[in-house]
Amino acid sequence: MPYLLLLPSLLYLLLFFAYPMVQAFQLAFSKSVPYLNLRAEPNATAATTGTLAMQTVVTVLDRQRQEETLPNGVKRPVFWFKVEAPNPDGVPVQGWVNQRNVFIESRTESTTARVTTGEPTLVFTLENIQRMTSDFRFGPAVLTTFLLIILILPLQFALAIGMALVLQSQIRANGLFLYIYAIPLGISDLTAGIVWYAIFTQRGFLNSALVGSGVLPQPFIFLQPDHTAWMITAIVLAEVWRATSIVMVIVVAGLQAVPRDYLEAGEVFGATVWQRLRYVILPLLKPSLQVALILRTILAFQVFAVVVALTGGDVLTVLGNETYRWYDPARLNSPNVAAAYAGFILLISLGISFFYLRAVRSQEESVKAL
Amino acid sequence: MTTLTTQPETRPAVPPLDASVRRRARIRHNLRRSSIYGVAILIAIWILLPIWLITTMAFSTPENIRAFPKPFVPSPATTETINFFLSAEGIVQSALNSVIVAVLTLVISTLIAVPAGYAIARFLFPGRDAIRLGILSVRAFPIVVLGVPIATIYIQLGIYDSPISLALMHVALTLPTTILVISSVFASVPYELEEAAQIFGSTPVQAFWQVVLPLSLPGIAASALLTFVLSWNEVFAAIMLTLMNRTLPAAILYTLDKSGDPFKFAGAFFMLMPAIVFIFFIRRYLFNMWGSINK
Repeated sequence: MPYLLLLPSLLYLLLFFAYPMVQAFQLAFSKSVPYLNLRAEPNATAATTGTLAMQTVVTVLDRQRQEETLPNGVKRPVFWFKVEAPNPDGVPVQGWVNQRNVFIESRTESTTARVTTGEPTLVFTLENIQRMTSDFRFGPAVLTTFLLIILILPLQFALAIGMALVLQSQIRANGLFLYIYAIPLGISDLTAGIVWYAIFTQRGFLNSALVGSGVLPQPFIFLQPDHTAWMITAIVLAEVWRATSIVMVIVVAGLQAVPRDYLEAGEVFGATVWQRLRYVILPLLKPSLQVALILRTILAFQVFAVVVALTGGDVLTVLGNETYRWYDPARLNSPNVAAAYAGFILLISLGISFFYLRAVRSQEESVKAL
Repeated sequence: MTTLTTQPETRPAVPPLDASVRRRARIRHNLRRSSIYGVAILIAIWILLPIWLITTMAFSTPENIRAFPKPFVPSPATTETINFFLSAEGIVQSALNSVIVAVLTLVISTLIAVPAGYAIARFLFPGRDAIRLGILSVRAFPIVVLGVPIATIYIQLGIYDSPISLALMHVALTLPTTILVISSVFASVPYELEEAAQIFGSTPVQAFWQVVLPLSLPGIAASALLTFVLSWNEVFAAIMLTLMNRTLPAAILYTLDKSGDPFKFAGAFFMLMPAIVFIFFIRRYLFNMWGSINK
């Protein structure tokens, strides 16, 4: 009975999670190469006797004239050739090919021909991986992605713990503050990017305030290629603004699970706020923080719209942006390299989750809480 | 007996609280309370100020949007910029697409997750923990990057660039969270009620339908709204899996480098609004969603 209830979900995840994941790695490690299939008999459905690469020069051993009927009823001759040539591994193979797959000077006279077309076949290759890693934007994308994680996460966790403690201290209008703190949960990274673009752009609010109050004589251009530090700052602020709420929710949920006596005990013994945080609250929150850490790190790898909205995605780039740039039919149009990026992101995030879980002892609990 | 009589005599040993000590304690207490309020309000301003600024932009005239220094309140307040945004080619259609995709995601995700959530909340069976962990560990992957392989699969199947295909991908994104949330909603309905219904002659299905479901409906509705918001906001998979039938975020992102500030700001405001409304309705459930899963 429970298995029956779980079946749709499991099938769904198999179909839309496990299968695409396999497909991602298959795309990353393969390319489509046209190969000509040789046939045992002079007809297209006969068994395959071997394959030839494009442009292979073949020796014609035999030929057969057939007739095909065009849609308008006219009949025309079609030739099949029995050819011999080394296959891609260098082993000589023999078989029949249709005239449309080869270039031949004279269908009745020539003794050699050249393979021109074939059927797309997937072959294993490291080419996509090499194209990814040798791209000049790959290194910067990895660095920026990690730099953003290192800068954003500590700020986010400090702010989230602050928010959680405020909500936990039973102040008046608690419900209102809770709602306000939760609003960013519903804000996308694209929206956050545009909102902070409105603040940081040349004629934006920050410059309006700075010039309006006389701090600066004229607007400072924050978001320009020379000022990558400012661009990073803008992205960090936008991400801290948008994505701290999810950490806050997890931390509050964790705090609620902690018995109140524990929290009050420190207070009774005269511990300062800082001491209680350091010795009581944080250790008790460890499993929740770990979950939040994993979730936030994973989400940080898919960030890209905020980067595009704030910087255009060329001066500064992140892994998510590169994945899309390689996929985009209007730009690089290479799903295989995009899949290499996708696979790379999947592997890093898996590695990082694993590292987090190993680094902290209470892994049993945190995996459950995840 | 003796303790009762001796106690009043020991009391004077403690020096009576001096009025100034008491006052200082009260001041310290008030100081602490007000500093908490101060922090609470500062954080609220940090979150609300950017929302206020983008709202200002959305309701300013295009001239004021380009003006420098910018006004911090819309003066005059007009819907000119929003009208301009809505009249841009394809925007209304893509907003409609977003709604269609989000509603489909919500419906499919909830329909699949309700039985699974119920099974995890109510039954003890071999492999329960393994299955639950399996479903939940899906969350430890950045699923949106699967947009790449899914796009090629869709192209092969000929279902690329349609709202329902994108919704199917979004269901994969939201399903683990939805199962988690819904199972915690079911877990919070006391099992005794279900048992009582069965004792009074209900079948398990009736008991679920007439007792458990009505009680969990608000929680399920909250989870469905959360699913809606997740799909409404999702841009990475959306921009990969659509071409002509863009959703709103995908359409805005795709034309971002070609569009002017009024368009961007009105677009951001438009994407922001539903989220603010929906979060208001689900705010009370947010913490239960994460809190009670282990119980």
